[in-house]
Amino acid sequence: MKQITVAVAGQPNVGKSTLFNVLTGSRVLVANWPGVTVEKHEGFTEYKGYRIRFVDLPGVYGLSALTLEERISRSYILSGEADVLVALVDSTIPERTLYLPVQFLEMFKKVVIAYTKYDLAHELGLHVNLDHLEKRLGVPVVAVSARTGYGVSFLLDKIIEVTERGGRGDYLRVDYGELEPFINSIESKLSSCGSLSGYPLRWLSVRLLEGDAELASVVEEKCGSGIYKEVEEIRGEARRVVGSDLAAVASSKRFAFITSITRDSIVRLKLPQPTRSGSVFYNPLVGSALSILILLSIFMLAFIINTGFPLNVILSALGYQELAEAVEALSLSNLMSSALEWLQELARSHIESPVLASFISDGVIGGVASVLTFLPLIFIVVLIFSIVEDAGLLPRMAVGVSTLTSRIGLSGNVLFPITISMGCNVPGIFGARASLTSGERLRQILTLPLIPCQARLVVLLALATALKTLGGWLMVLLGYLTAFTFFAVLNYLLYKLSKDKEPVPEMLLEIPALHKPLGKVVWWMTWNNVKHFITKAGTIIFASSIIIWALVSLTPGLTYSEDASSSIAASLSRFLAPALYPFQITGGRAWIIVFGLLMGFIAKEVFISSVITVSGSPSFTEAISSIGLSDSQIVALGVFITLYMPCLATISAIYSETRSVKLTLLSIVLSIAVAYAASTAIYYLILVL
Amino acid sequence: MLTLDLAKPGSKVRIVNIDGKGWVQRLYQMGLLPGSIAEVVANYGVGPIVLRVMGSEVALGRGIARRIIVEEVREG
Repeated sequence: MKQITVAVAGQPNVGKSTLFNVLTGSRVLVANWPGVTVEKHEGFTEYKGYRIRFVDLPGVYGLSALTLEERISRSYILSGEADVLVALVDSTIPERTLYLPVQFLEMFKKVVIAYTKYDLAHELGLHVNLDHLEKRLGVPVVAVSARTGYGVSFLLDKIIEVTERGGRGDYLRVDYGELEPFINSIESKLSSCGSLSGYPLRWLSVRLLEGDAELASVVEEKCGSGIYKEVEEIRGEARRVVGSDLAAVASSKRFAFITSITRDSIVRLKLPQPTRSGSVFYNPLVGSALSILILLSIFMLAFIINTGFPLNVILSALGYQELAEAVEALSLSNLMSSALEWLQELARSHIESPVLASFISDGVIGGVASVLTFLPLIFIVVLIFSIVEDAGLLPRMAVGVSTLTSRIGLSGNVLFPITISMGCNVPGIFGARASLTSGERLRQILTLPLIPCQARLVVLLALATALKTLGGWLMVLLGYLTAFTFFAVLNYLLYKLSKDKEPVPEMLLEIPALHKPLGKVVWWMTWNNVKHFITKAGTIIFASSIIIWALVSLTPGLTYSEDASSSIAASLSRFLAPALYPFQITGGRAWIIVFGLLMGFIAKEVFISSVITVSGSPSFTEAISSIGLSDSQIVALGVFITLYMPCLATISAIYSETRSVKLTLLSIVLSIAVAYAASTAIYYLILVL
Repeated sequence: MLTLDLAKPGSKVRIVNIDGKGWVQRLYQMGLLPGSIAEVVANYGVGPIVLRVMGSEVALGRGIARRIIVEEVREG
């Protein structure tokens, strides 16, 4: 069977993901573009004797090499790997979204243009004369609707047709008006340079005239600085003669070309246009209040389904004790932990060898459990997130809160991952994908682990019970305040450090029309993200749980022992005990805290159970007092635990999102540094007071 | 002539000039370039300004808006 590669390109919000899903079903491979952390989706289908490989190019507005995504798209097409390019146009915004396909046609001949959302365009009274456009653009033009499936097989037919017969005879020529003489003279200079094969010369000349830095260095490298200087001189001359920004002139000529061909091929019937809903979010006051309200509801819903909290607390406060218990008992996490405990018991009672029984029940089942316990929450959160995203609500909410978040260099989108992170950092880090720029996304991924999750709230509450004179609520409040303050400060600093590299310091965001989310798209987005977590984060968590089982169950002499205080982990903790010197926690039993912190790395709440186990005390409060901690040390410890290191699952999430060991290590180092700075400061502050 | 951050909500403006580097290219790609006409959908004095241009809505930060010079277009 012959294989062909088809690249799919389109501006953001044109319905590319939806069409990609319809074209490929769910057979999608997720990888990274070479050398960068931008995701690459590939899908396959078989049609009329061809195995078609679809490559989803990043959603970009144009090809000016302004962003990483634009550079990826451009160099992929120049590489010649794609046999055919399917360029998408949104039928409801037919002029502006044709800009990208026009830019592609200037540098690539084998193109099929697909007008998406065709059903929606009809409802709005828009009619596109496909035959006319086909004549003007010189490539097949088809209309599709991913929602109804209309035109999809016709699109596949056209892809095969272009594969077999070829596309346009030459590259599309846009009339650049007053720029033409300069384009021509650059082109004649470049034609004397023999090593530019693979680059369409006219396109290259236009781009150079527009000031494309990436292509300028290509020319300097391949043709020498002589030709490069001549090109620069022509550019300078053009700027003097034309008298305005050359890129603006070139862009407006492209739009003039688009207008000239769409003027007589798009008919707009005067139908009553539906009023655009959702503009209430644009009011800074109403918008931020409404956005925060929506996010809190999502947060609450996810937590009630997952743990019963806070509905159980509210119900029991109102006197409905039985209902509260039922809500808690029926929560997903409770149902799952009961099932897993039953499995662990089964393993212990049926396996005779104690080492094997412990390995199976604590190591393997426990490891699977730590993956599974995150799943319901991630699933619910990702599902709601996908619905909000597909409906087009997210950009409106981002506008609503951006007045607040712009002060620390974050766009309004950050509200979503922050809210999610207060439950669990893992889905929060996945939520950072909604960022406007890759730089902001990285800053979010690095700083989101500082947001206290539910597990850390549990530890804070437990430590609060061990306080002698200080109020427990004060300590919990202090923990949250410190965490949010450092989140803001760190973001501010990282933003200041990266400012020069970011061309868009502010919001510059298209807001698509609100629409009813499409079930299959929501499901596809949800399943993709969850699958991503199971395969990537899951393997890391599972493997680490087994390693940790070995560290806790084996002595340094590698014999099995049920006494955790003689384990490798305990020896390691004794060795690491000086880590607590900044809080003046010393003495023979200080290592127990270090042991707890090491175990808390699996999941923060494990701190409590592991401290109880190795100290041999009946309760956490007694365990803490047996170590001899003062109130100021307990508070410092609480702040330290809140910030000290992302848990294993979070680190896995950071790694699977950035695919960079360096950045993952950076986030660990940053959080440890912040934890020491904050908790030492608080320790001495309380001592002084 | 005024800067875009001062444009009244509901008014129609023609873009006269945009002063900036890098991100201006993104504006061009979105159809916001000298000569194009946009409708001001929202401008509350703080927070982003929302424009409708070529059939789609675009939110712009105020810092960006301050660097865009526009003139009001009268209907009719």
